[in-house]
Amino acid sequence: MRYQPVIGLEIHAELLTDSKVFCTCQNEFGGSENTRVCPRCSGLPGTLPLLNMGAVRLAAKAGFATDCTVNNYSAFDRKNYFYPDLPKAYQITQFEYPICTDGHITVTGGKDIRINRIHIEEDAGKLVHDDYEGISMADYNRCGVPLIEIVTEPDFRSVEEVQDFVEQIALRLKYAGVCDARMEQGSMRVDVNISIMPVGSAEFGTRAELKNLNSLKAIGRAIEYEINRQSEILDNGGTVVQETRRYNDNHGDTKALRSKEEAHDYRYFPEPDIPPVMLSDEDMEEIKNSMPEMPQIRFARYTEEYGLPEEDSRLIISNKDFSDFYDEAVKINPDYKQISNLMLVELLRHLNESEKSVLDLPFSPADLAELVKMSTDGVVSKNAAKDILKIMFDNGGKPMEIAKNNGFIMDNDASGLEEIVNQVISENADSVESYKNGNQKVFGFLMGQVVRIAGKGANPKLAKDLLTEKLK
Amino acid sequence: MFNAELTKHLAELSKIEFTEEELQKMTDDMTDIIAIMDKVCEFDTSKPPYALDAVDYNDLRADEHADSYPTDKITSNAKNVKNNSFVVPKVV
Amino acid sequence: MALKEIRDMLDKKEISVVELTEAYLDKINKRDKKINSYITVCQENALEDAKKAQDRINAGLSDAFTGIPISVKDNICTLGVKTTCASRMLEDFIPPYDATVMEKLKKSGIVMLGKTNMDEFAMGGSSQTSYFGGVKNPYDTDRVTGGSSGGAAASVAAGLCAAALGSDTGGSVRQPASFCGVTGLKPTYGAVSRWGLIAFASSLDQIGVIAKSAEDTGYLLNGIYGYDKNDATSSKKSEGDYTSLVGSNITGLKVGVPKEFFGDGLNDEVKAAVLNAVEYYKKLGCEIVDVSLPGLEYAVSAYYLISSAEAASNLSRFDGIKYGLRSGLGEDYSDLIKNSRREGFGNEVKRRIMLGNYALCSGYYDAYYRNATRIRTQLRNEYKEIFEKCDVMLTPTAPTTAYKIGEQENDPVKMYLADIYTVTVNIAGLPAISTTCGYDSNGMPIGMSLIGKSFDEKTLIAVCDRFERDFDRKEAAL
Repeated sequence: MRYQPVIGLEIHAELLTDSKVFCTCQNEFGGSENTRVCPRCSGLPGTLPLLNMGAVRLAAKAGFATDCTVNNYSAFDRKNYFYPDLPKAYQITQFEYPICTDGHITVTGGKDIRINRIHIEEDAGKLVHDDYEGISMADYNRCGVPLIEIVTEPDFRSVEEVQDFVEQIALRLKYAGVCDARMEQGSMRVDVNISIMPVGSAEFGTRAELKNLNSLKAIGRAIEYEINRQSEILDNGGTVVQETRRYNDNHGDTKALRSKEEAHDYRYFPEPDIPPVMLSDEDMEEIKNSMPEMPQIRFARYTEEYGLPEEDSRLIISNKDFSDFYDEAVKINPDYKQISNLMLVELLRHLNESEKSVLDLPFSPADLAELVKMSTDGVVSKNAAKDILKIMFDNGGKPMEIAKNNGFIMDNDASGLEEIVNQVISENADSVESYKNGNQKVFGFLMGQVVRIAGKGANPKLAKDLLTEKLK
Repeated sequence: MFNAELTKHLAELSKIEFTEEELQKMTDDMTDIIAIMDKVCEFDTSKPPYALDAVDYNDLRADEHADSYPTDKITSNAKNVKNNSFVVPKVV
Repeated sequence: MALKEIRDMLDKKEISVVELTEAYLDKINKRDKKINSYITVCQENALEDAKKAQDRINAGLSDAFTGIPISVKDNICTLGVKTTCASRMLEDFIPPYDATVMEKLKKSGIVMLGKTNMDEFAMGGSSQTSYFGGVKNPYDTDRVTGGSSGGAAASVAAGLCAAALGSDTGGSVRQPASFCGVTGLKPTYGAVSRWGLIAFASSLDQIGVIAKSAEDTGYLLNGIYGYDKNDATSSKKSEGDYTSLVGSNITGLKVGVPKEFFGDGLNDEVKAAVLNAVEYYKKLGCEIVDVSLPGLEYAVSAYYLISSAEAASNLSRFDGIKYGLRSGLGEDYSDLIKNSRREGFGNEVKRRIMLGNYALCSGYYDAYYRNATRIRTQLRNEYKEIFEKCDVMLTPTAPTTAYKIGEQENDPVKMYLADIYTVTVNIAGLPAISTTCGYDSNGMPIGMSLIGKSFDEKTLIAVCDRFERDFDRKEAAL
């Protein structure tokens, strides 16, 4: 039988706050065991959580970035369960009143994926296992690291949709400064709920939850594996069990996690230690206004207003700093296409080769805008512009000064150039002869000779015209 | 209504070990206690459960970190500590 | 002796802080064996505190509490001093931090005599569930003190401290104050920081004070109230001086008397004494207003469901791993914590945890927990209406006076029902004060409660003080 996968996502993203979500310990990755811990996050008796306003703001931003309704009223609940990485034996989360609801993201093919909710919660600690001694050691440094959980509806029907969504979410969260979205490092963790149903059916099958997916590729492979696994079960007349399965990147397969002894009953109830969060409309406006323009909006601007190809636009928005730089440059010189070309070909190559970021550049977007203008105005040749950019990249400096100091200013003196053309023709009689006999290739060689003598300031068009004329 | 099976389930959720005898006693106690608690089931359920009291957004803590506690103070009341971490029997 | 008189004597150097402290410690050492009101006596620390306080007085830097010797309930965290919650679970727990109330009082130069006995984790109304043995009533050592702040109330009644800090989740300050013939004030929810109070039921817990008089409770409240950035549920609305209305004219004040509080189950002697107090206020020129709290019939069950649900969650952190009793039994993680909790918790605590999980667990949540919160909203609204008609409400504190040890504290159902007159105050987050309004035929104190509007402790204290001035209080003859 042919099956249709039905997929929903639960994405945990670590918020880029300075402090943890319910205490003032620093929110930072790693560190020696239990060095970023205080009575609050280690769950000492008598302690109380103190909600971090920064975490609320970032969660609201995540909502705005995904077209959610950000709610004026949200509240926290306790999710109760025992595990050694959870010192209070409950996780503070938002269950009944999440901060954001009803968002969506349009994925490849123009389909809308609905976001059910985004809520704030705290991360748990880490366990280090010692097989030899048969013990686990609990380190609470990660306890209380602020997270948001983004929950989608089961709207995905293909790997491509999932991957596109995850890419977009990651990019938007990065733009909004919500999360650095590094899947390999675990700062963004994607869990996949997947079931299959016969093509044409409307009734969803039993789903499995896939964990430990730390790259887009892993997500793709895990989903493919799971579709095959579940199809085989159904084809053989079996039934899919609802369970959590861990993806193994080395084997490319998923394995059921040992099911806990008792069925989960988290006994959620309102967290009495934290009053509900009230965001006024003014708060909302202020938070919204503090956000940068989102990548999908920029993409539309680049393609529709600026006429850039989709592929180029996608490349520019894939890095916010790069896109910011581009936007600054075209503000000064609205030559969208030329600036995009210079940045995507030359600048991007230099950045990649040197492993630098746009933020490291020793020149400004205005300098780049001017360089492009110099090129299009014929002040310097296109090739000279590339050379100037390299000099700017290495040492900084103003493009006009660099052009002057290095003889890049285009020389438009026809009489001087004519002399040089005459000289080259007389010195290369054999080649001229060959050209006149129909060997067009020789023209390039002769041009090269002209440019060599004339220097980098030579106007290539003028030189070409003169040479053509003289060779007639 | 309230029976030993439910007591066992609650004991599991509560993570408390009981002997069979204790379980029986607890079941008896709980049966009596739940009988009083059943009073709430008579209450009009059309009323909203929570009073949604307004609070001031500005009361939230500003996002600034401060020093954590010395690790030895955090672990000072624990009975089994290794590598500055809290030791438990190995969990999978 | 009133706290302000002690203040006066210390400042006038009629007695030194060390002398005063030694006198209390001496009394504790001699008499506390009879009543078991202290779990920990801070012999050395108290004397050190006393010396420092005296230095401060000598330097002319005396503050309201400099050198005042108090007792502190053993569920309030004290830096470096054992805080057990009267539980085997926390038998040797030493907090690495001070509760906010302790920080405030220490800054003012308080002398902490010791940590008082209580019902385990503040769950109970008898102070007999303590791992360290029950507390006995100074008026009759065969009788209970009430609870859970039984040690606090007994320590005040027996003169083993100048005043005491307790905590009140469903009557735990007022009811033992009533049983022990002293005054107990439960402040408005949010008036006093809960930072450092080991939580029983977070939405109901409030630190309260027990003293010899209403004015003294106000004096001590002045030292501990106020917004605390460490407790998000603490309020900026509370403001002192809480004794400022003491002595003011209360003629014309409206005293509400709720009929539901005088029905079946109320002991006749208690009823007579409380109605006598109503008469007293009437004679003073107060207006007596009939009011009604129809939701009272649901109060006990709603209270027990909410408080136990929160307790089940709050006490889950006691697993033997980070602190507290760690069982030697159990091979795996689950067995270790089950055995640690089995050995660490007493029966009543276990019952509450079980009840709380019953209220919250799947299939029962809507019928129990959610309905209880509906009742909570209802009771709050009913109180709002009541306080549109009156300024304070007068009720009995408990249906009976202190009963004989062994008489009913082992019957959870009887115990729970006996909380009927105190729990609505916590459910609604209101302030209330209990004082002695008579003595029964056995000579045991009878308590009445005044319940007030949110953050109107000043009126309660003044109204209560007015009664106390004309009431012939009998000291416990221990």
